[in-house]
Amino acid sequence: MLTDPIVLAGRTAPSRVLFGPHETNLARRREVSHRHVAYYERRAAGGAGLIVTETASVEAGDRPYERAPLATDCGPGWAAIIAACRPHRAIVLAGLGHAGSQGSSAYSQSALWAPSRVPDVVSRELPMEMEEAEIGRLVDGFAAAAALAVRSDLDGVEVDAGQHSLLRQFLSGLTNLRTDSYGSDRALLARQVLGAVRDAIGPDRILGLRLSCDELAPWAGITPEQAAGLARDLGSLADYLVVVRGSAMGTSATRPDLHTEPGFNIELCRSIRSAVDGAGHVVLQGSVVDPAQAQRALEDGVADLVEMTRAQIADPDLVSLWRAGEGSRIRPCVLSNQKCRVRDNRNPLVSCISEPRSGHETQDPAVGGLDEHALEVLVVGGGPAGMEAARTLALRGHRVRLVERSSRLGGALRSAALVGGRARLAELADWLEAEIRRLGVTVETGVTATPEDLGASVVLATGAVPGPREYRIADGAHVLDVVELLTAVENGGLDDLPQGPVVVFDPVGDPVGVGIAELLAGHGRRTAIVTQDTVVGTQLALTGDLADANTRLRRAGVTLHKNALLREACAGRVVLEDRFTGEQREEPAALLVHCGHRLPDRTLALARPGSARAGDCVAPRTVHEAVLEGRRAALAIGAAQAPVGEAVR
Amino acid sequence: MTGGRYRHLFSPLRVGPITVANRVVFSAHLTNYAVDGLPSEQHAAYYAARAAGGVGLVITEEHSTHPTDWPYEKLIHGFQRDVIPGYRRITEAVHAHGVPIVAQLNHNGGQSSGMYSRLPVWAPSPVPDPMFREVPKEVDHAEIAEIVAGYARVAGHCAEGGFDGVELQCSHSSIVRGFLSPATNRRTDRYGGSLENRARILLEIIDAVRAAIGTERALGVRLCGDELIEGGTTIDEAVEVARMVEATGQVDYINTSIGVATSTLYMIEASMAIPPGYALFIANAIRRAVRLPVVGVGRIKDPVQAERALAEGHCDLVGVVRGQIADPDFMAKARAGYATEIRTCLSCNQECVGRMGLNRWLGCIENPRTGHEAVPLPPPGPRPKRVLVVGGGPAGLQAASTAARRGHQVTLFERAATTGGQVAVAASVPGRAEFLDLVRNLLAECRRHGVDIRTGTEVTAARLREEAPDEVVLATGARPQPPHWAGGLDRVVDVRDVLEGRAAPSGGVLVVDDLGFHQATSVAELLADRGCRVRVSTSGMVVGQDLGVTLDLEMFTVRARNKGIRQTTDEVVLSATAEATGGGVVLQVLTHTTGAMAEVRADWVVCAVHQEPEDELWHALKGAPFPVHRAGDCLTPRRAHAAVIEGDRVGAAL
Repeated sequence: MLTDPIVLAGRTAPSRVLFGPHETNLARRREVSHRHVAYYERRAAGGAGLIVTETASVEAGDRPYERAPLATDCGPGWAAIIAACRPHRAIVLAGLGHAGSQGSSAYSQSALWAPSRVPDVVSRELPMEMEEAEIGRLVDGFAAAAALAVRSDLDGVEVDAGQHSLLRQFLSGLTNLRTDSYGSDRALLARQVLGAVRDAIGPDRILGLRLSCDELAPWAGITPEQAAGLARDLGSLADYLVVVRGSAMGTSATRPDLHTEPGFNIELCRSIRSAVDGAGHVVLQGSVVDPAQAQRALEDGVADLVEMTRAQIADPDLVSLWRAGEGSRIRPCVLSNQKCRVRDNRNPLVSCISEPRSGHETQDPAVGGLDEHALEVLVVGGGPAGMEAARTLALRGHRVRLVERSSRLGGALRSAALVGGRARLAELADWLEAEIRRLGVTVETGVTATPEDLGASVVLATGAVPGPREYRIADGAHVLDVVELLTAVENGGLDDLPQGPVVVFDPVGDPVGVGIAELLAGHGRRTAIVTQDTVVGTQLALTGDLADANTRLRRAGVTLHKNALLREACAGRVVLEDRFTGEQREEPAALLVHCGHRLPDRTLALARPGSARAGDCVAPRTVHEAVLEGRRAALAIGAAQAPVGEAVR
Repeated sequence: MTGGRYRHLFSPLRVGPITVANRVVFSAHLTNYAVDGLPSEQHAAYYAARAAGGVGLVITEEHSTHPTDWPYEKLIHGFQRDVIPGYRRITEAVHAHGVPIVAQLNHNGGQSSGMYSRLPVWAPSPVPDPMFREVPKEVDHAEIAEIVAGYARVAGHCAEGGFDGVELQCSHSSIVRGFLSPATNRRTDRYGGSLENRARILLEIIDAVRAAIGTERALGVRLCGDELIEGGTTIDEAVEVARMVEATGQVDYINTSIGVATSTLYMIEASMAIPPGYALFIANAIRRAVRLPVVGVGRIKDPVQAERALAEGHCDLVGVVRGQIADPDFMAKARAGYATEIRTCLSCNQECVGRMGLNRWLGCIENPRTGHEAVPLPPPGPRPKRVLVVGGGPAGLQAASTAARRGHQVTLFERAATTGGQVAVAASVPGRAEFLDLVRNLLAECRRHGVDIRTGTEVTAARLREEAPDEVVLATGARPQPPHWAGGLDRVVDVRDVLEGRAAPSGGVLVVDDLGFHQATSVAELLADRGCRVRVSTSGMVVGQDLGVTLDLEMFTVRARNKGIRQTTDEVVLSATAEATGGGVVLQVLTHTTGAMAEVRADWVVCAVHQEPEDELWHALKGAPFPVHRAGDCLTPRRAHAAVIEGDRVGAAL
């Protein structure tokens, strides 16, 4: 089923799993880079059936982000990708699109194109209304890009009428207010584009269509009912149809984070597939990260193929492991969006919290392979850094003993999974634990390592301790560290804490403070959150959760204290100060939860300077850095070199 | 020219081993012109243009001294030897104009993240930066030695690359700043605690760098006089550090600054809301304590201000950065006696600071060449053309100026009695007057290039066809368009209605901010000043959100609090109806995050919303026997930079 081949336009994909088009920032200027090639090749090697490359703009004026590929610059890169992937039998298609009013004028320094002068909700920039000349250029641009893809030997193209696309803007009553034939028949442009593309590629190449089938804006947007008609109309022109949802309203709709249930498009996809009624293949998309869910969707007739993009960023071998019956070994995607959602002005490269080699295939060594000499290695600390170090060492043939002070493995990852809405993070801890046990690592919990225990080969991954509290704490104030609070919640001890209103102090703005506030409000506590920023949860912009998080907080009745400095915690209240005016005010607080930055636990490191260290005990950061440095420390020990995370010179 | 109006400005000065011909410095600033960590051709062309324009000394943007330092994508990785060819390209291009050039060296320390380096961030203590919010690794003594060696290595690269000296960045964003500042240095070893200890790394770097560059090159140190943060460095300690620096006997000049780049940036790159020369007190205090030449900075935007800063003894040299981003010929024009021809900086921060913060190349709202100096201009066409420009706002003026400069015969028609379009309107509110310099500068350019400007002249399509020009440029702008919910009410007006005097709201006013820029905040302040009770409402998360990128948000927030302006967010206006009695307006307002509906009453509603293009001539001229182009708001209404860029592009392509 999921691993069965499927034939599209006479071409056979080795599995029914699609690696979908997504922003990577791996481009060099606007060209496909060698990093792109390595990135896609790795997924092809792992069994991906179809790979759709990062959406390339079909018109030079469209540059939605700095490193957005431009089709006319992609020929050699596309050819290199297919040359790398075809030996693995994967089908490779070029993603083609135009972002229209959802683009950016910052790089083109030209007016954005749109069906009508409707500003994008996020950028608020007013686009220009396309006239005949621009429409002609757009259709020609799609055709020319498709022709180039075919000349570059790709198996076909996928046309984007999904969440971020000019074609969707034409299809939608939200953005198409035209009175000409492109307004009276909003699908006219999409039909013209699909027709021109088919003419350019011929019948024996694959033409895919990514279509927003629910804009989540029923007052004027595409509804699932309208989409059924559109899918019949447009889907018949394509070999497959990817059912997605979303519009400019609700920016997190297409690739939401872990707050949204995996497989959220299943019912939408089922209804579209029954509307299309066998006229073309239908692809399920939408946070599908579990192959069992994907398999079930195929068995239930929801779809003919399943897009699993983030799941294959987390584990490129997803398909081959599933095919081999080793599904439990697949490194889980926890949908944090922390490293793979890269639509950000800083141009971060695509990667993964738990597979840091993703996006860095040309730089980072592969983890597999045996080291020459098997060593006895002690890993101190069973959090993500320690477990990844142990996993890597064991994979490479070393005898590993891991000691963990507490009664269970997982470290800060277990705490993080207790934060409101973030339970999926535990899957990563579970997987790491299962892997190190499978690989025969000797695991000892409840054991505190001492300096005397540290032998020749050791990795310290001892985590963090609470950081300083830079405000006055008066007698009678109840101040609780975030980890203490989470432990209490887990043990059902929240009611044992002082009754009354809770203030969450969040100087960081990451998922923790917001999630703690949600958790407390969910337990019926009157909750307030304090930030020095103008917006709560500023760091959530990167994962796409910023607007949603603020909405959740407002709906949960959490009071938001913005532009506020915490000056003092007293019995029953806290003193806040306005960052701009210096004005002070009091807020009732039976309990203050401190969600500030933490400090490294350096107890063992100070006793044994020069030991390999990884993760929070170097500097408390996120799970990504913990895994990255745990792996580097392990590889360095195997290579008998100085650990990289500690000593890149 | 050492006498006359700019007696001090044009007197030469010895700065250690180098001599500067005048006192203006193009101080270090980020450009985002680096490509793959290397200096680019654009860097060379950019600095060369300012050298050609007569600046006394160029100091380049920072060169990173260590692989752990990579806070933003387009940083020059000075620690790699392959920067040297790019250095040579820069220094040769600047030296061709007889101008000395110094390279700034830096390690940003904890004011960084591991996003690009994939390494822990280094700092004196594990104190997270307020912007990057990543806990740094506390450096040990071996790492401190490595930092010091890194500065020396990069200083060596700079010497090899032909620089006349190096400047140590110890302010803004820097690991040396991190050590100097009690706010970020919590160490208890010999690098923390007393000022002497906190300055130790700086003195070690000075020793190492001087050894690397020898005596033939200049060494400068840039110090922060006031970090404007709690527990941070203030002027007394800065003066003390300056004395220590001088006492080494190895340093040739001291540069100054104010603020911390990652928390008080709005005081470093101050917008027009902060008075010119606001940071000169730092140079003044340091100059009184040391004999070394001292550079003063802080929104010095014309030669008169610069001359005065020197004449009053605040400093020996004056940093003029944005003034020369806007006009590379700043000094040449001053020297030639044409100071009024200088395209003065507006301190609007829209395309320089604003683009920097968003990881984009450095530009300028009124100089379309900034950021494109390395791209040659297209050759002028074979014959001059007769060009008619309709509209005297920024797009029309820029199109006319560019076309006339390229030899075309240009006539510009403006319907109103004066040129300037919406820029003049935008500049008419409190605190925004300097924005009008955009028009003044464009008009000066038009006059210089012989544009025939006819104000008070409305032209029709028929008139344009009669004139039978070679080409027509339409820059006819935009007009206010009531939002769909306005209900045709007289008391629901546009910002422009207020600023242009067609409406005079009083009492309780609701300003609806759909644009997120100066429109809503400007009118709110104006009306509050007139005694109105003002509330600004936005559907977004922040009122005037894009003021954040121009560094205007902090000062607006302070002023708004003082003026009693309320700000509410997450609100969408659904409808407006006339109040039964009292003449006011009742609005149905949805808080979209909660779904809550509320009725809001106001005496007046002022809308900061998108306009519609005035494009009647564009449609009326379809099929005309001459090419017709559009520029600016008549294509689609946007901000001033788009008008200038499009005007220039159209003017250059004729």
